[in-house]
Amino acid sequence: MKYQMTLDYTIPFGDLQPYFDALRDGQALASKCDSCGIVAFPARTNCASCRDASMQWTPLTGTAHVLFRTDANGGSYALVKFDGADTTSTVALKNPENNTTIGTLVAPIGDAPGLWLTLIDTENEEHDGH
Amino acid sequence: MISNVSFAGGAMTPFNRRKDGSSFRDWARAAVQGALDDAGLEARDIDALIVASESDFFTMQLNPAALLADECGLIGVAAKRVEGGGASGHLAVHAGVAEVASGMACRVLVLGVEPSASHLKGADVGALYGLSFDAWTDGMTGIDSTSLYALSAQAFMARTGATLDDFARIAVRNRAHARMNANAHLPLDVSLDEVAASPVVASPYRRLDCSPLSDGAAAIILANASDLPARAQGRARFRAAVSAVDAVRLGERQDAGFFGGKQRAAQRAYEIAGVTAAEIGLAEVYDSYSGAQLQSLEALGFADVIAAERDGAFTAQGAMPVNLSGGLLGQGAPVGATGVAQVLTAALQLEGRYFGQQATHAPRYALVDTHGGIATLNAISILEAP
Ligand SMILES: [Zn+2]
Repeated sequence: MKYQMTLDYTIPFGDLQPYFDALRDGQALASKCDSCGIVAFPARTNCASCRDASMQWTPLTGTAHVLFRTDANGGSYALVKFDGADTTSTVALKNPENNTTIGTLVAPIGDAPGLWLTLIDTENEEHDGH
Repeated sequence: MISNVSFAGGAMTPFNRRKDGSSFRDWARAAVQGALDDAGLEARDIDALIVASESDFFTMQLNPAALLADECGLIGVAAKRVEGGGASGHLAVHAGVAEVASGMACRVLVLGVEPSASHLKGADVGALYGLSFDAWTDGMTGIDSTSLYALSAQAFMARTGATLDDFARIAVRNRAHARMNANAHLPLDVSLDEVAASPVVASPYRRLDCSPLSDGAAAIILANASDLPARAQGRARFRAAVSAVDAVRLGERQDAGFFGGKQRAAQRAYEIAGVTAAEIGLAEVYDSYSGAQLQSLEALGFADVIAAERDGAFTAQGAMPVNLSGGLLGQGAPVGATGVAQVLTAALQLEGRYFGQQATHAPRYALVDTHGGIATLNAISILEAP
């Protein structure tokens, strides 16, 4: 048989709503553990390091360094370290034709609240002081 | 140590992409009948059914355990479904081991089945698999399974010095093993150059580094040996059944290339079984991607895996043959059935009854390794020869 199903989800984010609200505006809002100070981005509701459930919101600049990247037919993705975060994050690359390794968080493309990074040309900065 | 749970028998259907009009209900019936025949039992001898199926989106059937009990003539049995992503089948086996060990059930039938290939378009299955990680973060970037594994593999290569040639050798060898296995999806005679020339899926992974989407079913029966007929005496026994999770988001792991949850599960399994990694004589390992086989072997505690891989330790003639079934790369991956078939393979190898490539040196202990996510939910069993 042929059978088609369309599903229309409405999913509340609960305690993580502030992270997703900030992301919608292109802002990186991380969580910081009250006990050990570990900063997680994407934000968490409890600390992965010491398991404390008391977290504070802390904004990051949104700048990230690429550790590894992969290029696929469906898009390019990277494992990156956001400045100020103790964890790394997987992001989609908005301008994969750029081969630089520094980028900045931008508002998600489309309705899905994913992490998108625009790679920025760092040639001038790298030559500063040389 | 688990001492009273025996493998009583099992069977699997071919793993492939079905084009013959048969349904997953047909495959389930065939696997169950095969397992009953192998054990010398009848449907009425079974008192519990545990079904593994990863997703209702694939089968388009909620509550599949009740449906499949009915379909397989298992009237009045206890029934449940177990799910843990790619590890679903193996976790269902663990649930069966627990039921037998605890006395909850005497003879448990574990049935894994998945129409991963024929029901939906590959892109739709890929989109669903993308929700196997943290759906709100990784899932919402649109990143797919291959891309996440590719990032992890790069971190592994950077730390260990493993090369794409090492990955390609595994892609070639597992397909060669599959050529001895009549149930295998990809019994391919391919060369290292052909792996390196296959299309890029997510760099550095190419088409031949990836396991396929398959249809199929596998079933095994577990019991206390005293509850089995003569035909099913003297079979492989379970020594450990352990699972452990890792951080669900790759970016939160200390090393994105190391399968730490798998290491934790393996260490506990060795402790419970009272054996060391060096005593394992055969393994079926979760090679969803070529590099993942090497990453898994590292986490399972085998010494110097890169050198061992290059020296042939993991070949049929080596000290610790890996994936003689062909693994996921060669035998295929109908998700719910995958882990059940891995355990079936290990048990038959230990009993000297395996239908495909056999190990040159008969193993005393075999290890089975399966995971969901990117080694996020890890299931490990250790079995001992009769
Ligand atoms: Zn903490």
